[in-house]
Amino acid sequence: MGEAIDKKDREAALQGMGCSRKRKEDARFVQGTGRYTDDIKLPGMLHADMVRSPYAHARIKSINKDEALALPGVIAVLTAEDLKPLSLHWMPTLAGDVQAVLADEKVHFQYQEVAVVIAEDRYIAADAVDLVQVEYEELPPLIDPHKALAPDAPILREDLVGKMEGAHSVRKHDNHIFNWQAGEKEATARVFQHADVVVSQDMYYHRVHPCPLETCGSVASFDKVNGHLTVYLTSQAPHVVRTVVSMLSGIPESKVRIVSPDIGGGFGNKVGIYPGYVCAIVASIVLGVPVKWVEDRMENLSTTAFARDYHMTGEIAADKDGRIKALRVNVLADHGAFDACADPSKFPAGLMHICTGSYDVPVAHVNVDGVYTNKAPGGVAYRCSFRVTEAVYVIERTMDVLAQKLNIDKAEIRRRNFVRPEQFPYDTCLGWQLDSGDYHTALDKVLYAVDYRALRKEQEEKRARGELMGIGLVTFTEIVGAGPSRNCDILGVGMFDSAEIRVHPTGSVMARMGTITQGQGHQTTYAQIIASELGIASDDISIEEGDTDTAPYGLGTYGSRSTPVGGAATAVAARKIKAKAKKIAAHLLEVSENDLDWDVDRFKVKGVPGQEKTMKEIAWAAYNDVPEGMEPGLEAVDYYDPPNFTYPYGVYLCVVDIDKDTGETSVRRFYALDDCGTRINPMIIEGQIHGGLNEGFAVAMGQELPFDKQGNLLGNTLMDYFVPTFVETPHWETDYTVTPSPHHPIGAKGVAESPHVGSIPCFTSAIVDAFAHLGVTHMDMPHNAYRVWQQIQELGITE
Amino acid sequence: MQVDLDKEFTLPGSVTQGWMFLQNIPGVASCMPGAEITDEIDDSNYKGKVKAKIGPATMAFNGDIVIKNVDPEQKTLHMIGKGQDTKGTSSATMDLTAWIIDGEDGKSVLKGQAAVIVTGKAASLGGRMMTQVADQILNQFGKNFANNVAAMGDSEAADEAKEALAEQPKELNGLAFAWSVFIGWIKSLFNKKATS
Repeated sequence: MGEAIDKKDREAALQGMGCSRKRKEDARFVQGTGRYTDDIKLPGMLHADMVRSPYAHARIKSINKDEALALPGVIAVLTAEDLKPLSLHWMPTLAGDVQAVLADEKVHFQYQEVAVVIAEDRYIAADAVDLVQVEYEELPPLIDPHKALAPDAPILREDLVGKMEGAHSVRKHDNHIFNWQAGEKEATARVFQHADVVVSQDMYYHRVHPCPLETCGSVASFDKVNGHLTVYLTSQAPHVVRTVVSMLSGIPESKVRIVSPDIGGGFGNKVGIYPGYVCAIVASIVLGVPVKWVEDRMENLSTTAFARDYHMTGEIAADKDGRIKALRVNVLADHGAFDACADPSKFPAGLMHICTGSYDVPVAHVNVDGVYTNKAPGGVAYRCSFRVTEAVYVIERTMDVLAQKLNIDKAEIRRRNFVRPEQFPYDTCLGWQLDSGDYHTALDKVLYAVDYRALRKEQEEKRARGELMGIGLVTFTEIVGAGPSRNCDILGVGMFDSAEIRVHPTGSVMARMGTITQGQGHQTTYAQIIASELGIASDDISIEEGDTDTAPYGLGTYGSRSTPVGGAATAVAARKIKAKAKKIAAHLLEVSENDLDWDVDRFKVKGVPGQEKTMKEIAWAAYNDVPEGMEPGLEAVDYYDPPNFTYPYGVYLCVVDIDKDTGETSVRRFYALDDCGTRINPMIIEGQIHGGLNEGFAVAMGQELPFDKQGNLLGNTLMDYFVPTFVETPHWETDYTVTPSPHHPIGAKGVAESPHVGSIPCFTSAIVDAFAHLGVTHMDMPHNAYRVWQQIQELGITE
Repeated sequence: MQVDLDKEFTLPGSVTQGWMFLQNIPGVASCMPGAEITDEIDDSNYKGKVKAKIGPATMAFNGDIVIKNVDPEQKTLHMIGKGQDTKGTSSATMDLTAWIIDGEDGKSVLKGQAAVIVTGKAASLGGRMMTQVADQILNQFGKNFANNVAAMGDSEAADEAKEALAEQPKELNGLAFAWSVFIGWIKSLFNKKATS
């Protein structure tokens, strides 16, 4: 009994996996001592600001810098002409396209970078921007992607005219980027021809932006004496940035140091490489002094990576009982003026082919066409880097439409089509292998928790009284943890990740990873993994990321990949250390390794109480008393190439009441059950889910980047762009089941994206459900009061 | 951002008087609050500028005015104005057709159709007020135009009109303007309700 208590106490003292350990990051954040890129001030530092285009599509006739250069304090004004000799006026994108750093003869979207002003302070730079005179000749803009491939459409990318061999496929028009397909087209079509029931639904997943609290920026500092370039950067992938900077600048990678300091939210917005970074770097190299560029809010919303902008059609062929026989998805993807997505090279539409969802779909076909328009580039951001949000939206919406057509309850139709627990690992018809899941249990748990039957009864009564109440349901499956290098790479670098752990003589630990935290709490959770693996208290473990001079190479943090990939590397590296520690323990205890048992924080000799060595003792011995032939020290590195993605899933249910006179929606209840496999820190998971639900709520209910016919962006200030505060945010109820990933070292799956991916179609499902009895099958987002009110007017259901 | 406007103003003079003034391009331009012709290149090409101050923001547009057609038979003027703000962040074009027809009691009526296209920051930041702002600018324009026509004579009314013209603000300015925009917007809400 005493031993058991002792063991429990020792376990608790570690604050390892499963413990709601308080975030180690928060002490500095709540005291205002976080260090962000804009906090970095270097001696002699200059400031950059951008001259941007007021037009969406125009030819640049002339740029006159004279007045700007005459302003005291202005050091330089650079245009594409100035970058040309360095071949830096264009740069490669992560998607195999090129992107103008500064507009070269033409502007392709409103707010595009046309010139950069370098000045002694930020204010002078901003004043000088106004003094740069640019003469434009307006060209007809292409805003509607549906018109992009018309024979008479204005051609945007003159640099690509005639180049019909694209990075991903043959291009069928000068405004065409790629065609990408997955699955079996003919076989799917055959099933559709003979199906009992076919449903088809068009939907637009609008253009949004993650709008992180901190905008993007960089401080570049080139040391002319030793040729070293240091760049402080708001980057979710500093190592990849180092590789790209080295490739572009010709500076050896060993002399390029990228530091991602504290980051105020990324959500995919900080994966890309932006013209401002390049300009700051070029300016620093040319001038030999540090140069800072930090964008303002309008610049952030207007030009840095947006998300979505998918025009989709979902079609399901089913039998009369609602069992899916085939799925077909067609997408027109608006990528803006340059294809600057950050997808794995093989997948220009990301992981869109996860769109079979949680369902046993016999055959499917996905077709995606990407096109250019006069809008800012990007397309991969917002708590889901790889189009999983779009995939989940299209399948979940279309499932609702099928349920409605067959008059089967939307929970029941999902249950009938779920992949069953005994089918895992389940190979989807589009090529993924779902690792583990128990969807039925999750669904039942949620329906029971909310008393689904009572809700439906209440809805029936309300409908009879003419009131609008909607129940939304989503049963999503995510795909995260990119990814196995056999199908995932960025610029040819496999999407592995890494951890390097050093145990010091006194038993404390320093660990560095190739990922980078931006709010995820890595300093807290990685330490918990190591604590459980090595029996060293979390508080004695320091985690460091983001400095490419010290951290091992990794692909960074986005797409919920840190725990599935970086977390796995951490566990495996810790196990390498543990294996060595076991040898040292056997040596110290003069027994064979086979005679040792691991017990929380020590190795014990089997059956001999008291004969034991703690990790602390072993760590000390590693530096002075190792077995003969063994090198001293206790450290390990692991580069983890995951065998598969992980597939977290969840069941979300939402109840809304809609005011018939104003169109105002009140989210009465939102119940989110997530299964992310092994739970490392339940408190952090809860925080991640709350954050993701909030963002999902924002996207579904208000956020959008709308353009008018001239290509003016009409939503790029916080006057228009909806960021929910405490006032608007609904109350969230969370729940969980645990189905560990069978291939992950600790069974964890990743969680940050799930609440975003899952909640958005759930809100739409609820809003549409409020009108379903009136024949409405779909309403496009955002579901703001005005748009809902328009639906009410259209139906003519006001008194 | 495109706004289409259809306006008409009663003029206190005859069709001939109205038409006479409509052909006076610098005079017509000066009816636009904050606008003036800075250079007369030839009969159909002018350079001008518009200065607008709304709240803390001042926008100065420099631009070209091209007279596309003057039709004395129909008493119709077609002009296109195109300008860019001096900071290079916004631009605006206006395609305007104006004509004079007979009114009641010996008066005449100025009718106008305008398509205003605004791009850049002005559209991003001011898009939702654009219709009201353009409407108010044109209302002010109509008043000034009418006063100019009235001021053509020697009567007491003409003197009053001259006085009114002298007192008109030299730039599109400030609170009074913002207030009239606001009132216009409120009115439009009620109008919609009444007609729908």
